[in-house]
Amino acid sequence: MTLAVTYDLGSYVSENWEFLLRGLGRTLLVSAIAITGAFAIGAVLGAARAHRVPVLSQVAAIYVEVIRNTPILVQIFFLYFALPQVGIRLDVFTVAWLSVMVWGGAFNTENFRAGFEAVPFRFREAALALGFGRLRTFFNITFPIGGRIALPSSINTYIAVLKNTALLYVISYEELTTSAFQINARTLETLETLTVLGVVYLTLVWTLSASIRWLEGHLALPEER
Amino acid sequence: MLFLLPDWVEPVARYMLETGLRNTLRMAGFSLVFATVIGVVLGTLLTIKFAPSRWLIRLYIEVWRGLPVIVTLFVVHFGLTPLLGTRFEFSPLTSGIITLTLWGSAQIAEATRGAVQSIPREQHEASSALGFGWVGRHTYVIFPQAFRRLIPPLVSLLVGIILNTTLVQIIGGTELLESGEQSVERLNAIPPIGIFEIHAFEIYGAVAVVFFVMCFPLTRLAAYLERRLVV
Repeated sequence: MTLAVTYDLGSYVSENWEFLLRGLGRTLLVSAIAITGAFAIGAVLGAARAHRVPVLSQVAAIYVEVIRNTPILVQIFFLYFALPQVGIRLDVFTVAWLSVMVWGGAFNTENFRAGFEAVPFRFREAALALGFGRLRTFFNITFPIGGRIALPSSINTYIAVLKNTALLYVISYEELTTSAFQINARTLETLETLTVLGVVYLTLVWTLSASIRWLEGHLALPEER
Repeated sequence: MLFLLPDWVEPVARYMLETGLRNTLRMAGFSLVFATVIGVVLGTLLTIKFAPSRWLIRLYIEVWRGLPVIVTLFVVHFGLTPLLGTRFEFSPLTSGIITLTLWGSAQIAEATRGAVQSIPREQHEASSALGFGWVGRHTYVIFPQAFRRLIPPLVSLLVGIILNTTLVQIIGGTELLESGEQSVERLNAIPPIGIFEIHAFEIYGAVAVVFFVMCFPLTRLAAYLERRLVV
């Protein structure tokens, strides 16, 4: 049996670009919401971990370990297919951004914890000596310096969040991967579909990775240059 | 304790552990071995200062690390057949092993490069002086020392591989999550096939617990090994 393979990327893209672009838009939208949320979760819980805030620190530790040690696909399944059984019905868009945000938040908590803990103690000592309160010390010293130390690793987490949105295929949220495979189901142009997915994801991921390398050169603490 | 559980639990648990968990572990085992071997070889070759081979290996690493693993899985499972013919039609579990090998070997290649380059130059010079060629030098002198540094990333990789085996569910491979989904659907069916009840919460919760029990000790072990290496 010979497989008739016609490969025509040009007409595939020209016929479906609007649909694909809408999918890409949803990928970017969900990623943007999740990344913003993951930043907030990471900053708050990372600070709680680094400063050993009672209760919150322990809760954050459990949250981090549970998310890091279970597959994100199982987390998506749990939110979308298991929660309705106990009366919590989330629509597909909510599950889409929530699942990748909760995942990214857990990894980001670790990134920020490490960043905050890496702030030299003498900096905080200096702030306290100048009469800063604990909260002002955090906002003026620990957060800007520690956040800067944590930036490369947290961007890595944001890249992973973006890549994880492809898993929303399982709940048929129409982001890029789902959209591309919907076209594929109609036209059976599998190779074109895969080419588009590969090129778009690699472009996004490689661009963001390049920004990390650029930032790493620019963000070193002045005394370490 | 067991007799307090409802009747449906025992056959479901048996199916999920005997078929689902078994396939998950088998995939993880094969993927770990293949990924380690390929990753170590590529990572060592990456330390050779020969531009074309370095570019090729770099490309390999950046592509398989850059793509979402599910896209790689689709490429392997759906893309190879139209490209190379029906000989390259794999079962979902085989496609999973190939995908996780590609992904894992990219991670290990990068780690190996760092580990090999961390070995001081004197070790290379001394083994050359003893008459070792490039292959012998790396096999008997450099790699055994570099391997110590590779152990923490290998444990982390095993965790990553175990977690990522669930992706095979998407193409219908009966790993743990898929066996859970099949059980949920079966229980929800009308009798005599099922019992017309929804037990998604318990079953997906149990899947999460099983993964946690496997991965949590390994994560801690990786962190511990890494700390011990630094000191």
